[in-house]
Amino acid sequence: MSTRITGTSHLKSENVNVWFGERHVLKDVNITFPANQVTALIGPSGCGKSTFLRTLNRMHELIPGAGFAGKILLDGTDIYDPQMDPVNVRLNIGMVFQKPNPFPTMSIKDNVLSGLRLSGRKTDDASGLLESSLRRASIWNEVKDRLGDAALSLSGGQQQRLCIARALAMNPEVLLMDEPCSALDPGSTRRIEETIVELSESMTIVIVTHNMQQAQRVADETAFFLAEDGNPGGVVEFGNTEDVFNRPVDGRTNDYVNGHFG
Amino acid sequence: MTDLSAQPRPARSPWETPNPSRAFKVAAASTIPAGITTVLTLVFGIDPAVSVLLIFVPLQVIFAIAVGRNVAGKKGQGDAVLMFTSVFFTVLVAVLLTSLLWSIISQGFSAMSWHFLYQNNVYIDPTTSLEYGGVGHAIVGTVLIVGLTTLVTVPLGILIAVYLIETRDKSRSTVRTLVQAMSGLPSVVSGLFVYSMLIVSGVTTYAGWAGSLALLPLMLPTVARTAEEALRLVPVEIRNGALALGSPAFRAFWQVTLPAARSGIITAIILGIARIIGETAPLLLTTFAAKNTNFNVFGGPISSLPTYLYQYVSNGYDTSTQRAWGAALVILLLVAILFTATRIIAGDRKRPKKKA
Amino acid sequence: MSTSSEPTSHSPVRRTLKAKPFSRADRMFFGVARSASYFSVILIALILVFLFIRATPAFQSQGIGFIFGSNWNTSNPHHIVMQIGPMIWGSLLISVLGIILGVPMALSTAYFIEFMAGKTMARVATLVVDLLAAMPSVVIGLWGLVVFTPVASHWAELLHKALGFIPIFANTSGNFSASPFIAGWIVAVMIVPIITSISREIFSQMDRELINASLALGGSRSSTFFKVVLPTASGGVVGGVLLGLGRALGETVAIYFVLNLIFKVNWFNIIENQGGSVASMILSKFGEASDAEISGLMAAGLVLFVVTLVVNWIAAYIVNKAQPWRKL
Ligand SMILES: Nc1ncnc2c1ncn2[C@@H]1O[C@H](COP(=O)(O)OP(=O)(O)OP(=O)(O)O)[C@@H](O)[C@H]1O
Ligand SMILES: [Mg+2]
Repeated sequence: MSTRITGTSHLKSENVNVWFGERHVLKDVNITFPANQVTALIGPSGCGKSTFLRTLNRMHELIPGAGFAGKILLDGTDIYDPQMDPVNVRLNIGMVFQKPNPFPTMSIKDNVLSGLRLSGRKTDDASGLLESSLRRASIWNEVKDRLGDAALSLSGGQQQRLCIARALAMNPEVLLMDEPCSALDPGSTRRIEETIVELSESMTIVIVTHNMQQAQRVADETAFFLAEDGNPGGVVEFGNTEDVFNRPVDGRTNDYVNGHFG
Repeated sequence: MTDLSAQPRPARSPWETPNPSRAFKVAAASTIPAGITTVLTLVFGIDPAVSVLLIFVPLQVIFAIAVGRNVAGKKGQGDAVLMFTSVFFTVLVAVLLTSLLWSIISQGFSAMSWHFLYQNNVYIDPTTSLEYGGVGHAIVGTVLIVGLTTLVTVPLGILIAVYLIETRDKSRSTVRTLVQAMSGLPSVVSGLFVYSMLIVSGVTTYAGWAGSLALLPLMLPTVARTAEEALRLVPVEIRNGALALGSPAFRAFWQVTLPAARSGIITAIILGIARIIGETAPLLLTTFAAKNTNFNVFGGPISSLPTYLYQYVSNGYDTSTQRAWGAALVILLLVAILFTATRIIAGDRKRPKKKA
Repeated sequence: MSTSSEPTSHSPVRRTLKAKPFSRADRMFFGVARSASYFSVILIALILVFLFIRATPAFQSQGIGFIFGSNWNTSNPHHIVMQIGPMIWGSLLISVLGIILGVPMALSTAYFIEFMAGKTMARVATLVVDLLAAMPSVVIGLWGLVVFTPVASHWAELLHKALGFIPIFANTSGNFSASPFIAGWIVAVMIVPIITSISREIFSQMDRELINASLALGGSRSSTFFKVVLPTASGGVVGGVLLGLGRALGETVAIYFVLNLIFKVNWFNIIENQGGSVASMILSKFGEASDAEISGLMAAGLVLFVVTLVVNWIAAYIVNKAQPWRKL
């Protein structure tokens, strides 16, 4: 589809601050997401990981009273520039939600291809795109004989992988995933993790997870978020996953990754 | 030793404690007064209304209190009276509503025939026998007038719902309040408004479209409010799923939200139609009535089922009243069809929820 | 290894984000939705303003007598008298009668369906009640005229014979039909399904635990009903009653069929063959009305609208408060 050179696109947040109404929930977040790498966001519940993720493709602004400051740069362009159409931003930065949310009135096939229709695009090879997306989400074998069935007839884990396939069909440069495995059994989790690793060859991935092993299995980089009581959340430590888990600089990171608090 | 095996749940609610001797007493208490009343009424030729009020009610209250006290002690008294009151009024409601339904059905069927459903009224006067003429023209008129109203009101109502749900405008609550205020507009006032604005002032003669216009403010609040509820029920995750794929808002609405709310929207449409299908006063003021079949909502008087009914009631002859009953039956059937449709759709709506 | 949150000298300024439609198609989509909403607002405003403008001459020429006087005489074009006091009072009288008759019936039926009837019976009864709530009133009017009036006149006559010494049951005309009593019954038949439907739903949503606890504590059913069920449900029931009242006030054709409209206040002789109703009066007069008379009808319509609005708003307020899950 788009002729872009893999390996160059990257995402960067500069002094990102976020408010819900008057409540300041994130302060000065600076993270560089290297291209074609998986970055994990970890941290205790309520520290603002999902919120941060939503600012990365301008989903945050759908919440009434959302406040924001700072910059999110995609290949050097600020996606919050007033000239930017959020629709275009989201075309390039896809998102997979914590809870599977297939479109209930559509079949499996229509769900995968829904992004094209929703964005008003056309493809010459719909069935090819369908198959490749489903394959990349490792669900092709399970659904190839029932593509016309309702999406809701799938199991929860299958629905989540369907949602991943739906996002992949748009071939985004960046894929944001918010605890994509939180509702899944170990088997499905495993397959999705494998999918993530494979996908990182062609896109930049940001994943929120509460599962330390998962972060260590899939992520190249890890950012540790923390909101100390009453204060807005922020990044305590960011770096190579190996280092963050085994040689943390900050004591709080050490406590968290070793299960001492939170 | 305590029995740990599973106990069957009592089939009745805690309200009821089954007990044969109690059941017998209750049965006696609920038949004897009725029996005495019937006998007295027949023997002395008392007016039934009098005997029910003056013989049956006091007797039944005494019996109920006696049995209640006997069965459950002092607190049984109040219960018995409450129960009697509740059953008495419920039976009264049942009698009234059954009489209403039965009159329409029996009287309506005696006026009914095939030609009644399709013939018009051109050569009919109030005393013409029922072998001739019918409500064909009125059915056509109702379908046209209500159809035109629906055609305008449904998109309008859905758009209002979209505005209320999908935007964050400040004036939403004003719009919501005023749409609700519209539902307080008495139908005759709506008719009077159109009558005075269009017909007295000579913009148009009596015409179907004037009637549709008078029905619009009556239907709009129903459609808008029900559609709003339907859209509100679509989970925000699904909407966000579409937006996150890079969909413009209107495509997300059109392809995802609206299909997901489909049954609720259809319900809104049907409830709206049911709201106006029997409206009489606004049409009397705006469409008047015609004897012929008028397919043109933009020209000349046009008949509809309610105005047809009204006209023949006003004539006051036996055959004309019979025709009115026939029209009432047709209206009842239309309402019943709409009602059944909403039930079926509401049922459909529940099923996928359970699955998910 | 790097810690990325490099200290910044100053935090950037907060801006409030808004999901603004960006593309032309989206702007059009929301623009159309907005226009539709504004159209409805304009429509209702237009109706009110138009009614008001057209009603002004009548208000001006008739003064306060329009509402409180009881005479309608338009035969002399130089001295038109339009006073709708009896109609306003009649509308209220009929509605109140309908509520006095209807509420016990509706509450009993709701109580019966929810707490006494078996499953199947409750299901069927609910269905029938809901169907009747959708029944067009003109049909009820037909039934009221042909079937119910003879029966109810007979009741009224009996009442008069037995209790005629009480002014309420006085009747000097010897004609017992077309009275507020009968119109009140018709209103009751119209609103019983509505009130039953709402009360039943409230009863069914009530916390069974609460009821069972009251019973378990040794309360009788009746004390449970009066001390637990009714107080908890009262808000919704009152709202439902007001909603029924709104309907009753606007009812036109059914009342027109069963009531003798007379421009003389019938304060409380409910079985007298004389009564009033603003809505029915409008219907009875518009046909051969002159311009001045239409202004009077408009004024009557405006009064009716305002009264109904107030009633509906109070109803909506009460029902929403009592039943947050049910949106009016
Ligand atoms: N829509 C909202 N309105 C107001 N406050 C919100 C909203 N969503 C989240 N918050 C608040 O923002 C803070 C961060 O929430 P967020 O969902 O980002 O946490 P999280 O790190 O993703 O937590 P979890 O791990 O439990 O998902 C929390 O204090 C939360 O209460
Ligand atoms: Mg989260």
